[in-house]
Amino acid sequence: MSSTIANRSSRSLIVISSAFVLLWVIVASFPFLWTLWGSFKVQGDFFSKADWTQALTGTRTLIETGGTFTGKGYEGAWVQEEFWRAAINTFIIVFFTVVISLTFGTLGGYALARSGHNYSFWLLMIALVFRAMPHITLVSGYLLPFFEWNLWGHIPTAIIVLVAINQPFTLWMLHSFFLNIPKDLDESAKVDGCNQFQAFRHVIIPVMWPGVITTGLFSFLLAYNDFSVTSMLLSEENRTMVPAIYGFLGSTQEEGNVMFAVASVVSATAPLFVLVMFFQRQIVSGLTAGAVKG
Amino acid sequence: MAEIQLRNVGKRWGTFVGVHNFDLTIADKEFLVLLGPSGCGKTTTMRMIAGLEDVSEGEIRIDDTVVNELEPKDRDVAMVFQSYALYPNMNVYENIRFPLKVRGIDPATHHDRVMQAAERVELGEFLHRKPAELSGGQRQRVALARAIVRKPKVFLMDEPLSNLDAKLRVSTRAQIKNLSHDLQATTIYVTHDQIEAMTLADRVVVMKKGVVQQVGSPTEIYDHPANTFVASFIGSPAMNLMDGEVTGGVFRAPHVEIAGINAPDGPLTLGFRAEDATVAQGSGQINAPIYTLELLGDATMISVRVGEALVSVKADKTYRAEIGDMVSLSVPTEICHLFNAEDGARLGS
Repeated sequence: MSSTIANRSSRSLIVISSAFVLLWVIVASFPFLWTLWGSFKVQGDFFSKADWTQALTGTRTLIETGGTFTGKGYEGAWVQEEFWRAAINTFIIVFFTVVISLTFGTLGGYALARSGHNYSFWLLMIALVFRAMPHITLVSGYLLPFFEWNLWGHIPTAIIVLVAINQPFTLWMLHSFFLNIPKDLDESAKVDGCNQFQAFRHVIIPVMWPGVITTGLFSFLLAYNDFSVTSMLLSEENRTMVPAIYGFLGSTQEEGNVMFAVASVVSATAPLFVLVMFFQRQIVSGLTAGAVKG
Repeated sequence: MAEIQLRNVGKRWGTFVGVHNFDLTIADKEFLVLLGPSGCGKTTTMRMIAGLEDVSEGEIRIDDTVVNELEPKDRDVAMVFQSYALYPNMNVYENIRFPLKVRGIDPATHHDRVMQAAERVELGEFLHRKPAELSGGQRQRVALARAIVRKPKVFLMDEPLSNLDAKLRVSTRAQIKNLSHDLQATTIYVTHDQIEAMTLADRVVVMKKGVVQQVGSPTEIYDHPANTFVASFIGSPAMNLMDGEVTGGVFRAPHVEIAGINAPDGPLTLGFRAEDATVAQGSGQINAPIYTLELLGDATMISVRVGEALVSVKADKTYRAEIGDMVSLSVPTEICHLFNAEDGARLGS
């Protein structure tokens, strides 16, 4: 008798929690799905003042293009407005930001984690202060010298500033990953015949891999999603995707441009999904590493 | 072939003294055990020999070469860590092979040497497992195999058995003893377990707070402890120690009167081992009520209180009595160890 009550209550618990998760998934994914759907419509449907259901049915799209779905937004953004330039710029900036900040981050984080000196604590504290500052404070400080030295507008300039913003975070994150790796491993490697760098290269980094991937992904996202730095520091032709999307939105007088923005938003989001799905195992193990002693 | 010389070696961190004035020559092929409670500097001493800790003062020589400034990899030592420190991303085979690989030893010989080392510690069937898939005892054997694969001059073992359960500890202890006998390498073994020290060592170094208390064979240390610290650290149970007064060659403490003591009048600490004393038929040197009675199987342990100290005596296994019953214990002069009541140093020989 008591077992059936327990069964019933656990079954209802499963139903309630499943319903809650389902609701949450719908709420969380709705904006993306809505944008994805709408990106294949014309502006008259997706931003219809008369009847919002037109965004679903595509009435105006049918009238204007002869089908209920259209690739006009994508064509306009990628071909007419040359959004691919922004995509390439984003790729270059993100790639170098991640590589540079991970290189310094792993070496620096390892050194700080293994250093017994007091100053390593203060270095980390200073890093934390810089991490806490709003990004825009760095940009406003840099802007004048960049103009004076004729550095403004170039891609390497943006990379340097993004690395500067990113570095404290990667340093902190990798530092705490390294702290979770027992010192015995380094020492064992040294007794077995490694010098300090070989121990780092052959023993520590393979163990650290999930941590490096996770940190790399976070710095990727920071650089990829950045608006304040890239919009202020880059010239028109060196723009990345996020400021480019903002540019499409800024000229709403001209019909169709807002649909370019919608299409490019979808284009910019898609790679993120692929990336997170591809690395999800490493990310999860990286985020939970050290939570449980193995 | 390796003789290790420690010449007045010391380790300081700021004003804290970790190891003070350690001076010892460890003979080739000797099995030396560093024994002491935690924080006594035994592991620090070993780490200085390995090169993982800088030497603050003094000199360490391996085969007449001063190694103070050498990197660990250049000292030709192998070490078994307390945590085993296996490389989690490599399987057992790769773990054992690692020292050969990073030292650039001819790859053609790797397989034979790894297999030999693995066979030596009975790991043959686990070679393709990752450390996470092994039990504690198996991990410990991987660590041993990794240490012996290269045939180094010196083996260093840092409490290798402390993470094993009691039964496995006994069998692994036997394995280590057998291994070190076969390999004929100089071995330094750190432990806080006096039984490990007694069973494994050619010589034992007892340490306390960074200072060496006594160096000697297990028998010497057991039979002639240099001071009350060594006496109370070695043996199971530890040596009984009683504080009392000597007047005219008679030692007196509550419930205790032992005649024929060769010590000047005044306070004295007197010690004897539980297995040396017996239950007296008539009146003995200690007459006191029984505090507790423990059945050990092969013997019965009787404890009585003498002042603040608890004094234990091993009686026959058939001995039975109630707590509170009066008991007479025979403690002849020959089994007594005399210690200075103030600094605990041994009196006489």
